[in-house]
Amino acid sequence: MAVKKDYKDQVLVEKLRDRKYYIPDSNPEFIKEVEKIGLTPAHMCYQCGTCTGSCPSAPRSSYRIRLFMRKAILGLEDEILTDPDLWLCTTCYSCTDRCPRDLAPTDVIMAMRNLAARRDIVPRNFLKTTQLIYNTGHGVPNNDANRAARLKLGLEADPETTHKYPEFLVGIRKLLDHYGLKEKADRILAEGE
Amino acid sequence: MAELKKKEEPKIGVFVCHCGTNIAGSIDIKAVMEYAKTLPNVAIADDYQYMCSTPGQNKVVEAIEEHKLTGVVVAACSPRLHEPTFRGATKLGGLNPFRFEMANIREQNSWVHMHQPEEATEKAKDAVRIAVAKASLLEDLIPKSVPVEQAAMVVGGGVGGMQAALDLANAGIKTYLIEKEPSIGGRMSQLDKTFPTLDCSQCILTPKMVDVARNENIELLTYTEVEAVEGYIGNFDVTLRKKARGVLTTEEAEARGFVGGGCNGCGDCEDVCPVIRPNPFELGMAPMKAIYVYHPQVSPLLYTIDFDSCVKCNLCVDICGDKKAIDLNAVDEFETVKVGSIILATGYDIFPIEEKHEWGYKNYDNVITSLEFERLICASGPTGGHLIRPSDGAVPKKIAFVLCAGSRDNTGVGKPYCSRFCCMYSLKHAHQIIEKIPGAVPYIFYMDIRSFGKMYEEFYYRIQDEGAKFIRGRVANILEDPVTKNLHVNAEDTLLGRPIDMEVDMVVLAAAVQPSAQTEATRRLFGVSCSQDGWLLEAHPKLNPCGTTTAGVYLAGVCQGPKDIPDTVAQAEGAASAASIPIHRGEVELEPYFAVCLEDICAGCGMCINLCPYQALSLIEKDGRTVMHVTEAKCKGCGTCGGFCPGGAIWMQHFTTPQIVAQIDAFLLGGEQ
Repeated sequence: MAVKKDYKDQVLVEKLRDRKYYIPDSNPEFIKEVEKIGLTPAHMCYQCGTCTGSCPSAPRSSYRIRLFMRKAILGLEDEILTDPDLWLCTTCYSCTDRCPRDLAPTDVIMAMRNLAARRDIVPRNFLKTTQLIYNTGHGVPNNDANRAARLKLGLEADPETTHKYPEFLVGIRKLLDHYGLKEKADRILAEGE
Repeated sequence: MAELKKKEEPKIGVFVCHCGTNIAGSIDIKAVMEYAKTLPNVAIADDYQYMCSTPGQNKVVEAIEEHKLTGVVVAACSPRLHEPTFRGATKLGGLNPFRFEMANIREQNSWVHMHQPEEATEKAKDAVRIAVAKASLLEDLIPKSVPVEQAAMVVGGGVGGMQAALDLANAGIKTYLIEKEPSIGGRMSQLDKTFPTLDCSQCILTPKMVDVARNENIELLTYTEVEAVEGYIGNFDVTLRKKARGVLTTEEAEARGFVGGGCNGCGDCEDVCPVIRPNPFELGMAPMKAIYVYHPQVSPLLYTIDFDSCVKCNLCVDICGDKKAIDLNAVDEFETVKVGSIILATGYDIFPIEEKHEWGYKNYDNVITSLEFERLICASGPTGGHLIRPSDGAVPKKIAFVLCAGSRDNTGVGKPYCSRFCCMYSLKHAHQIIEKIPGAVPYIFYMDIRSFGKMYEEFYYRIQDEGAKFIRGRVANILEDPVTKNLHVNAEDTLLGRPIDMEVDMVVLAAAVQPSAQTEATRRLFGVSCSQDGWLLEAHPKLNPCGTTTAGVYLAGVCQGPKDIPDTVAQAEGAASAASIPIHRGEVELEPYFAVCLEDICAGCGMCINLCPYQALSLIEKDGRTVMHVTEAKCKGCGTCGGFCPGGAIWMQHFTTPQIVAQIDAFLLGGEQ
């Protein structure tokens, strides 16, 4: 276990925090759980970096998919699930296409997001997107600027989606309700206010 | 034959091996032993820590004498491992060695049922019961000896095949060296330098090529392929296809009456030939005529006509004049030779790395393979040793080397294995560009540098010291700048944890290797197995790396798996030594598992003759009757005829019908006879 020392001063306590990896701090079951949800043998990763090298998110952010794979194998569950970077994957699947070990790193990330969501750890923008889908059927709903642009191009103001046929929203809501997603999003957002 | 013999009372000894904890860890040895004592015909049952050890074997020897045993059963590992050991012990005890039967309770039991001890123990009892049932019916068998043809064959004229042929020839054995290309030399002759000593590849290879050509015990057959193989260890009949070369050697010309004629390698024909096509030796980077030699150091120095592109304009015939070396009407010729043992050294090809689209080979001009790099940096290559960019002929300054290109790849497009020599030759390439191009910087993208051999790690140290840059990360993709034709190499520096976009002038892909194109067809001709990845399968990965499961056929070099030049030469010497053993002994013992015709019962119907996959059966006249006859040396004991014979007149020695029926009964009846 990480050694804890009380330096009286909180700034100093954080600055000199024991950062070593200790086996008791990790959860060996975590990788198994991730593999069960992600359906890919993530423990076979050999850390070549093809995933991060392929990642469109990596050059513009601190998101490192290879590091997430590594941490998952080491069982650093808390560190992963509380890391805001977990939500920076765009799910483009470039890493999955190129992984020489034929793994699906994208699905590993998705599995870990599932596990984070079970613990109510979800960024607010994702929760708001859930609400938007529930209310409009779109993660990014149509707006006035878009409508004007569409009309200018000779299109109808609203596309052939729930925007035009709001009666289909019922089905979408049924799906989200089945998994309690909207309810969860509402609750977490309210708690954060 | 059993029924002709006086029935003896079977007395079987059963010995159960612990194999340390390999077997005893999951099987209750005492329970199996006690069970064995209750079986019919068992005179003694015993166990020991390691049955294969001297005290273990002595138990067998002593029990045979003490209990007057007629058969021995050892329950231990796979017969592949220790059947010969216990046959030896059985013989030492005074019994015929074929009175021994093995029950495999390790590979087929304790190892696979590690976590089910109770079921494993029950299965071991079954195995012992079945073995005892067979042992009770075993007969004395006498192995047959056949003489060995005093000649050997090596297929493949690369450095491995050449070394094997030289060793065999120098040991006094007549050796046929078969090469499908017009010249020997193989892949090594395409290389510029060799790691870690930086010897010039051609300089150390050509003396060997000359030795091969001059050795009076070697019959060098280039531009020749194996057409058919028949026979068995000691007596192979190999039919060779001598492809139509269109050019006569001095000897061939003399045989046609043109004394003093034949090809002298002057090259006049090449000058006049109007057909130009890519030279495969230079990987298509240099032109070649329809009448050609690949490069100046070929051995034999003899031109070859490519009849696929030759237009038969006769210009070469005219210029050749009185030498009369060219025959445009040549056709393939066939020759059958007899040899006692055979070495396969069929080598490798480069994996078609364009299949990994993300690296853009064959799409981007300045992405080349390592073998192309070898030709470009080689003084005798198409550019005279000046490394240039294919797109514009400029000298590249920043060169990226992509390691594990298609190796260690489980996607299905690529090879799961490590190609083993790419790390080292890429280090050598880095050295070569630093040496030849002032200001050039090699960037080596690697996952692990595998510098495993003697002086290899020191070579790695040296190249790092010379200024090569190492980036630990596999290349994700390569993009081409459409204007400059420079390449952007995208990867992650995994040690830095940061993505990289590196603009370089040229990219060299250290492409994976794979078995050469004809390996599959060749191995089928010789009846040799291959592993999952297509490399030819050795008899045992550790204890018999040069042998195959086909007696008399041996392996040398990369055809058995990726290996560098020192390892190839070492294996070739090992294979030559192994292949010379049967020849020097003069005769080989064949396992006596052949079919026997019970002539009293045989109706001479001849149905079995065509079923035999080895042409071992024939019909003969004997005492006024037609009966089947087995050529024992050809019979492999497969049992096809024995299983079919409608009259039950074929007796498969060591696998007789009564023996097999007894085994089945023992299994199905659970010991209640």
